Amino acid sequence: MFTVLTLLRKDVRLFLRNKVAVGLTFIVPLVLVYILGHVFGVNRSSTGPNGVTIAVVSETNAPIAAAIRDAMQQETAFRVVTTWKNADGVESRLTAERTRELIRDNQLRFGVIFPADMMSPKRFGLRLIFLNNPRNEIETQTVTGLLQKVIFTSAPQALMQNLRDQAVSHIGASETDSFYNRLSETIADFFDFETERVRANLDAGTLDFTDPAEIDPNANPAMVAPDSFIESIVSIENEQLAGANVKSPAATRVVGGWAIMFLLFSVSGASTALFEEKKAGIFHRLLASPVSRAHILWSKYLFNMLLGLVQLTVLFMAGQFMFGIEVVPHLPSLLVVALAASIACTAFGMLLSAIAPNPAAASGLATFLILTMSAIGGAWFPVSFMPEFIQSISKLTLVYWSMEGFLAVLWAQKSVFEILPIIGVLLAMAAVVNVFSIWRFNRGNLFE
Amino acid sequence: MLTISSVSKSYGSLTALSDVSLNISAGEFVGLLGPNGAGKSTLMGLISGLKTPDAGSITLNGVSANGGDHQARHELGLVPQNIALYDDLTAQENLEVFGALFGLNRKTLRERIDEGLDAVGLVDRRRDLVKSFSGGMKRRLNIIAALLHQPKILLCDEPTAGVDPQSRNAIFELLEHRNRQGLTVVYSTHYMEEATRLCSRIAIIDHGKILADGTLAELLAKLPAAEQLRLPDNPAVARALPELRSLGIVASHESGHTLAIAPTTQLSAVFRVLEKHNVPSTTRSLTRPGLEEVFLHLTGKAFRE
Repeated sequence: MFTVLTLLRKDVRLFLRNKVAVGLTFIVPLVLVYILGHVFGVNRSSTGPNGVTIAVVSETNAPIAAAIRDAMQQETAFRVVTTWKNADGVESRLTAERTRELIRDNQLRFGVIFPADMMSPKRFGLRLIFLNNPRNEIETQTVTGLLQKVIFTSAPQALMQNLRDQAVSHIGASETDSFYNRLSETIADFFDFETERVRANLDAGTLDFTDPAEIDPNANPAMVAPDSFIESIVSIENEQLAGANVKSPAATRVVGGWAIMFLLFSVSGASTALFEEKKAGIFHRLLASPVSRAHILWSKYLFNMLLGLVQLTVLFMAGQFMFGIEVVPHLPSLLVVALAASIACTAFGMLLSAIAPNPAAASGLATFLILTMSAIGGAWFPVSFMPEFIQSISKLTLVYWSMEGFLAVLWAQKSVFEILPIIGVLLAMAAVVNVFSIWRFNRGNLFE
Repeated sequence: MLTISSVSKSYGSLTALSDVSLNISAGEFVGLLGPNGAGKSTLMGLISGLKTPDAGSITLNGVSANGGDHQARHELGLVPQNIALYDDLTAQENLEVFGALFGLNRKTLRERIDEGLDAVGLVDRRRDLVKSFSGGMKRRLNIIAALLHQPKILLCDEPTAGVDPQSRNAIFELLEHRNRQGLTVVYSTHYMEEATRLCSRIAIIDHGKILADGTLAELLAKLPAAEQLRLPDNPAVARALPELRSLGIVASHESGHTLAIAPTTQLSAVFRVLEKHNVPSTTRSLTRPGLEEVFLHLTGKAFRE
C-alpha cells in the first residue's frame, strides 16, 4: 500500500508541475462548458438566439403593423431596427429596397416588411413579407419559428380588434355592440360555451374561447386547430435574398467552419516543428551557416501558409465531389479567401511557437484556442445564439472572418472585389499577430 | 586566425565565461578540455556567432564572429553537440540541405557529398533515412555536414558523445586527416584521452575561466612532479607517510595515497623508505602524470566528467 501511495503522490506532483496538463484538464473544459452553456441556454430561462437584428419596414399605417412590430420588440431574441446608419453616418428610415440590399450584403440577415396591401378589402387576413439570408440553417430556422410565434400570437388579436374598430367606425358603437352580443350568444349556444366568456374574448380579439382540454376533436376545425386557422388569415411570403441558387446549401453552409478548424489544427501542429528543430540542435547548425533567424521563421511561415492553402483547396474540392458544393465556378475568389485564411492561421501557429515555452505547452494552448475560437467564431453554432459580449468577441477571431469569407464566396457568390474588406480584416489580423510574434521571438529563447 | 579577447558571458546571475582570451593559429588542433558546465559549449556558441558576448570580442581572420557577417560563416563549420540532422531525410538529402545553404552549386555539392560519405564509410547508406542510423553513424554524418563547404576552421562541440569505439576512431581519423590538410580544429571535450590523442594544444577550462593553455608537454611541465607513485591505504604505508612527505607531495584519497615525487628527489630514495617500512612492492605503482593530474593541480579537485 505504501508503494502505491508513494507512486500516487509522485503522479500528483508531476501533474501539478505540468501546467499544460492542469490547463487542459480544468481550464479548457470550463471555458467550453461556459460557452456551450450559453449556446444551449442552460443558465437562462429562454434558449435560442440573442438579439438577432431584424429589420422591420412598414409601408402601411395599419395599426396591426404597429402591433406586430411592438410584439417583436418584446421578444428578447430579436433586436428590431427600423433605421440604418449609412456609410456617410446619416441614419435614415429603412425601406424595403434598402433592407433587401443590406440583407444581400450580409449586413442584415432578416427583415419583415408590412406591405401597403398588408390588409386588403379584397381578401380576409394579413400579408407580410419575410426577407432572409439563410446562410446559417439553425439560426434561420430558429428565427423563422420565433417570428411565426410572435406574429401568430399578436396578429389575430390585432386583426379582430382592427375589425371591431372598423365596424364601430362604419356602423356605430351601439350597432357593433349589438352585433357582438348576438354573435357571442350564437357561438356560445352552438358550442355550449359561456356567453360572457365568448363576448370577452371577442372584445380582446382572442379566437380561442375555451380550454384545450374541453375542445371536441370533431368540432369546427377552426376552433380545434387555431394554427391552421391563423395560417389561413396570416400569409407570410418568404423571400430568400442570398444563396437561393446554391445547389448544396447544407454542405455549403458548414464547409467553411469545418475547413478552418482543421486548418488551424494542421498549422498549429506544423508550427511545433520549430521546437523539434530546436531540440535536435538544428538551429545551431543553421545559424552557424549563412542563415538568419528571419530566414528560418519566414521559411516556416511560407511552408505552413502553402500547406494551409493546399489543404483548404483539397478540402473544398473534396466537398464538390462528395457533397456537390459548387467550388470550381468560384475557384479564383475561393483561392483568395483560402490564401488570406492560411496567412492568418499560420500567423496563429507562429504565435503559439512564440509564446509557448515548449511543444507540449504549444499543443495544449493550440487545443484550447482552436476549440474556443471555433466555438465562439461560429464554426459549431450560430454566433447569435451566444451572449452578446461573446458575439462581440467572436468578431476578433480568425474563424469568424474566415467563415465570412468562405460564405461570401460560396453562399453569396460574391466577386473578388466584393470580398476585399473580409480579406483586409484577415490580413490585418495576421499582421498584428505577426508583429507580436516577432517581438516574442526576439525576446524568447527559441534560438538559444 | 581566431582571436578571443577578454570574453565574458552570463546567464542571469550565472557566469558562464569570465574574461576568456585565446588565440588560435591556422592549422592548429586545439582542445577545450573541461568538465560538464565548465563553459565549453558557451564558448563554442560565441565563436560560431550563435551567442553574443557580454564583454570582449571574437574575431575570425579579423572579422567579428558576432556581426552576422556571412563571410565569417563561410569560413567556419560547426559540429553541434546534438545530432543536428533531420531524421526523416536520407543522409544525402540532409547533406544537400546543409550544403545548399552555403551556396554550393549542384555539381560541387554532389562531389563534396560523395567525398564526405566515403570518408566516414557511409556511401552505401546514402539513401537511407537518418533515423535508421546507429548513434555512431549519425555522429559521423553530423561532422560531414559541417565540412561540406570546406571551412577553414571547424568547431567540434563534444562530437563523440555516446558513440561506439569504432565510430570514435573513424571520427578521430577523419579529423586528424583534415587537420593534416590544413583545417584548423577547435575540439571541445571532457574526455582527457581524446584531448591527449588529438590536440596539438589544450586549453583547460573550468567555471568559465581558462586555467591553462599549451601543448600537453607544456601542461605537464606545470606539475611539481614528473612521476607519481600510487600507494594503498594500509598500516605499512601509513608508517611510511611522514618520511615520504619529505620527498614529494602526498595526496590522500579514498583508494589510497598518491606521492608526486619532487623533481629533485631520486627515485631510489623513495624506494628505500618504502622498503624500510615493509611496503610490499606488489601494492605500489609508478605512473607518469597526465591531464587529470594537471587538472587536479590547477583546481585542487578531481576532474568531474
